[in-house]
Amino acid sequence: MDAVIRAEGLQKRFGRVRALDGLDLVVDRGEVHGYLGPNGAGKTTTIRILLGLARATSGRVGVLGEDPWRAAAALHRRIASVPGDVVLWPNLSGGETVDLLVRLRGGRTDTAEYRTVRRELDEEFQLDPGKKARSYSKGNRQKVALIAAFAAPAELLVLDEPTSGLDPLMEEVFVRRLEAFAAGGGSVLLSSHILSEVERLCTRISIVRAGRVVESGTLAQLRHLTRTAFSFDRGDSREGALAALPGVHDLVVDDGRVRFTVDPDRIDALLPELGRLAVTGLRVAPPSLEELFLRQYGDVLEPQEA
Amino acid sequence: MLGTLLRFRLRRDRLRLGLWVAVLFLLSLLIVSEVRDTFGTLASRVATLRILLVTPAVLLFRGTPQGTSSGDFVAVLGLAFVALLVGLMSTFLVVRHTRAEEEDGQADAVAATAAGRRLPTLAVLLHVALADLLVTVAIAAGLLAGGLPVGGSVLLAAGCGMCGLVFAGVALLLAQVLPTARAANGASAAVVVAAYFVRGIGDAAGTPHPETFTLTPAWPSALSPIGWAQAIHPFADDDPAPLLLGLVASVVLAAAALALAERRDVGAGLVAARRAREHASAWLGGPFGLAVRLERLSLAGWIVGLVAFAALMGGLSVAVVHQLDQAGPGIATVINRLGGSNGTIQQAFANLGAQFGGVLAAAICVQAAQRLRQEEAAGRADAVLATATGRVRWLLSHLLLAALAAAVGLELAGLVAGWLSDGGEVDSGTWLLAFLWQLPAALVFLGIVALVFAVVPQATVPAGWLVFAAAVYLGIFGPLSGVPDWARHLAPFADVPAPALPTTSYTGGAVLALAAVVLVVAAVVLFGRRDTRPVG
Ligand SMILES: Nc1ncnc2c1ncn2[C@@H]1O[C@H](COP(=O)(O)OP(=O)(O)OP(=O)(O)O)[C@@H](O)[C@H]1O
Ligand SMILES: [Mg+2]
Repeated sequence: MDAVIRAEGLQKRFGRVRALDGLDLVVDRGEVHGYLGPNGAGKTTTIRILLGLARATSGRVGVLGEDPWRAAAALHRRIASVPGDVVLWPNLSGGETVDLLVRLRGGRTDTAEYRTVRRELDEEFQLDPGKKARSYSKGNRQKVALIAAFAAPAELLVLDEPTSGLDPLMEEVFVRRLEAFAAGGGSVLLSSHILSEVERLCTRISIVRAGRVVESGTLAQLRHLTRTAFSFDRGDSREGALAALPGVHDLVVDDGRVRFTVDPDRIDALLPELGRLAVTGLRVAPPSLEELFLRQYGDVLEPQEA
Repeated sequence: MLGTLLRFRLRRDRLRLGLWVAVLFLLSLLIVSEVRDTFGTLASRVATLRILLVTPAVLLFRGTPQGTSSGDFVAVLGLAFVALLVGLMSTFLVVRHTRAEEEDGQADAVAATAAGRRLPTLAVLLHVALADLLVTVAIAAGLLAGGLPVGGSVLLAAGCGMCGLVFAGVALLLAQVLPTARAANGASAAVVVAAYFVRGIGDAAGTPHPETFTLTPAWPSALSPIGWAQAIHPFADDDPAPLLLGLVASVVLAAAALALAERRDVGAGLVAARRAREHASAWLGGPFGLAVRLERLSLAGWIVGLVAFAALMGGLSVAVVHQLDQAGPGIATVINRLGGSNGTIQQAFANLGAQFGGVLAAAICVQAAQRLRQEEAAGRADAVLATATGRVRWLLSHLLLAALAAAVGLELAGLVAGWLSDGGEVDSGTWLLAFLWQLPAALVFLGIVALVFAVVPQATVPAGWLVFAAAVYLGIFGPLSGVPDWARHLAPFADVPAPALPTTSYTGGAVLALAAVVLVVAAVVLFGRRDTRPVG
C-alpha cells in the first residue's frame, strides 16, 4: 500500500532543544492515523514540518509523494489542516474566514454544492458565521477551522488536537464528519490527547515521545505490547506460587482480592495454572489505550485495576 | 486587593514605562541643548521669533511664542510635542489595561474575583496617574539637567503630565463605549493628535504682539488640553492655574468612565459590534485581498494624512513667501538649509514639503511591512501558509500593497499640492514629480523592514521604527543640527532627487530604486528559507 506520509530519521532542532530526534512515521493511504504523545513530545513540530511551515534539520520526509517544504503550495491544494492553536483574523467574520481559507486552498466557493455543504456544516457545528472572529470563544474558533477543513474536498487531513475546546456534542459531530471523510477514502493524521476519540476513529496509532516514535501499529498490535491485568477472589488459594511464574508482575493482595499483571506472551502459560488454583471471581482486563498510553508516557505507571 | 492588582500591572509594565521615562528625559534634555546650540544668542532668538510670529505654518506644528529667553524657546518648540507623546503614552496604557486585557481574557479572571467591576478601573487610574507623575519628573529632570530655571521646568513638565491625565480620562471613557480595544486605541490616539492640531490652529490663527514677541492664541487653543498646558507660559508667566483646569477635567472624565464601567459587560463596549457578513466578498480570495482587508483602514488613514499634509504645504507655499518678504531673512535661511540652498524660498519650501511627504510614505511602508511580523507572531501567517499560498506570494502580497499605498499616497499628495499652489513659482507638474520621486526612498524602507523580517523576525517592529527615526533625524533634520555629510547620506531621504530645485541629480533616485529592489529580492530569498515562528 502506498504511504501518504513517510518520514524517516526526522530531526528538528530549535537551538539546543531537540524537538524531533530521529522520528519515523508512516501513514498509509486510506487510514486514520492517531498521533499520540505527552505534552512537548513533538507532535505539533512534526505536523508543522509535514505542512511545510517548518523545515526539518535533517531526515527525509514525503507527503503525498512530494517534499512538503519545496512543494508546499501545490500540496496544500490536496491537504486540509487544522492547527493546534487556531488563530483567526479578529476583523473577519467566521463565515468570511471559512470562505477565505477554502479559496486560499484553491477551492471554489461560488458553486451551489459548496454553499450547501457549508450551510450543513454551519448547522451541524452550530456556528454563527455572521459574527466577527474576535467575539468567538475558543470552541467557536476551533469550529471555524474544522468547517473550513471539511468544506472543500481533500485527500489528506492533518489535524492537530482538532477537538480541543469543543463540547461533547460538537466532538460527536466532528467524529461523525471524520468517519464520513475516512469512508470516502481520505487519509487522516490525527494528533490528539483524547484517547476515546482515537480509540474510536483510528485504524493505526503512533506514540511519540521526546521526539521519537516509540510505538506504532494497530490498536490490537499495541495491546499486545502491554500487560494484561488479572484479579480474583483470594479465598484459600495459594497465590504465592503465581508470583514465581515467569511473566507475572506486581502481585498484590488487597481487599480480599489478588491482583497482578502478565506479559502478553505469558498468558497462555498462566491460564492452566489459574485452573489448577480453581480461582473464583476471575477478572481479566486487556489494556485500554489509556493504560498503554500511561505506560509509554510515564515509565512506571502500570495497570492497577482489573 | 487594589494594591495587589496595581503591583501586578506595574511589574508587567516596568520595561515599557522605563523606556518612556528614559526617552522623555533624553528628549527634554535634547530640546534644551538644541535650543542652546542653534539659538544661543538673544539676537538669533529675536530674529527667529520675528519670523515665527508671522508664519502660521510653523506655529501650527510648534507652539505659542511667549518671550525671548531660552526657556521660552524650549516651550514654543517643544512643549506641544512632548505633551503629545505623554498623551499617547497615557492613552495606550489605559487601553492596554482595560479593553486589551479583557480581550485577552485576563480581566475576566480579575472581574470574577472580589476585585469586582470598579476596582480594575480604579487600578488603571492610579496606574496612569503614577506613570504620568514619573514622566513629569523625567521631563522636569531633563529640562533642569539642560540648565533651565527650576520653576519653569517643573511647570512645563507638570503641564505635560496634566495632558497625560486628561487624555487618560478620555481613553478610559472611550474604552467603556467602543466595541473593541483596537477601536478604543485608535479613537483615543486620534483625540490626542486632534488636540495637538486644535491648539495648532489656535496658535496659527492667534494674534501676534511683535513688540513683546508673544502671541495670544485664538479660541481653539482653549479647547485643547495641550493648549491649556501652553497657557501656563512656563519660564515666562509661570501661571499654574491651567493645571487646575486639567485636573478638574480629568476627574470629571474619570468619574464618567467609572459610572459607565458599572453598566457594561466585561469584554464588550456600550456600542455593540455590528453583525458581520456571512460569506466572503469576491475580493477576499487570495493573500493580496486578505492584506487589503487587514490594512485598508490604516492605509486609508495614512493616505488621507499624507494628502492633507500636502494640501497644507501646497496651500501655504505661496502665502509663505509673501509673508517672508515682510519678515526678514531669518526663516528663509532655515527653509533653504532644510529644503535646498540652490533655489528660491518657494522652491526650497516645495522640496521640503515633498521630503516630508516622503517621510510619511516611508512610514506607510514601515508600518505595513511590520504587519508581516504581526501576522507571523500571532500564528495567522501559518494559517495562510498552510493553504495553497506559497511563502513568497504571501510576503510579496503585503509588500506590494504597501508599495501601492505609498505610490497612491504620493501621487495624490503631489496632485493636491500642485493644485493648491496655483500661481506659485513651482508649477503643478513639478510638485507632482517632487512627491513621486520620494517613492524609491520609501521603498528602500520597505525593503529594509522586509529584510529584517526575513532574517531576524523578532526584531522587525522595533528595528523598523528605529531605522525610520534615525533616517528622519539624519536625512531631514541633519542640515539643521550639523550632522556630518557622510552620516546624512546614510539616510535614504538625503539622496532623493529634488525636481523643485533649479538643479538636482537623479542618480540618487535610481540608486535608491535599485537598492529597494535588491533588498526586497534578498528578503524574498531569505524568507523562503526560514521557518515561520509564531510566538507562544
Ligand atoms: N519555536 C520553538 N522554539 C524552541 N523550542 C520549540 C519551538 N517549538 C517547539 N519547541 C519545543 O519542541 C518540543 C516539541 O514541541 P511540540 O509543540 O511539537 O510538542 P507537542 O507534542 O505538540 O505538545 P502538546 O501536546 O503540548 O501540543 C517542546 O520541547 C517545545 O518546547
Ligand atoms: Mg501540540
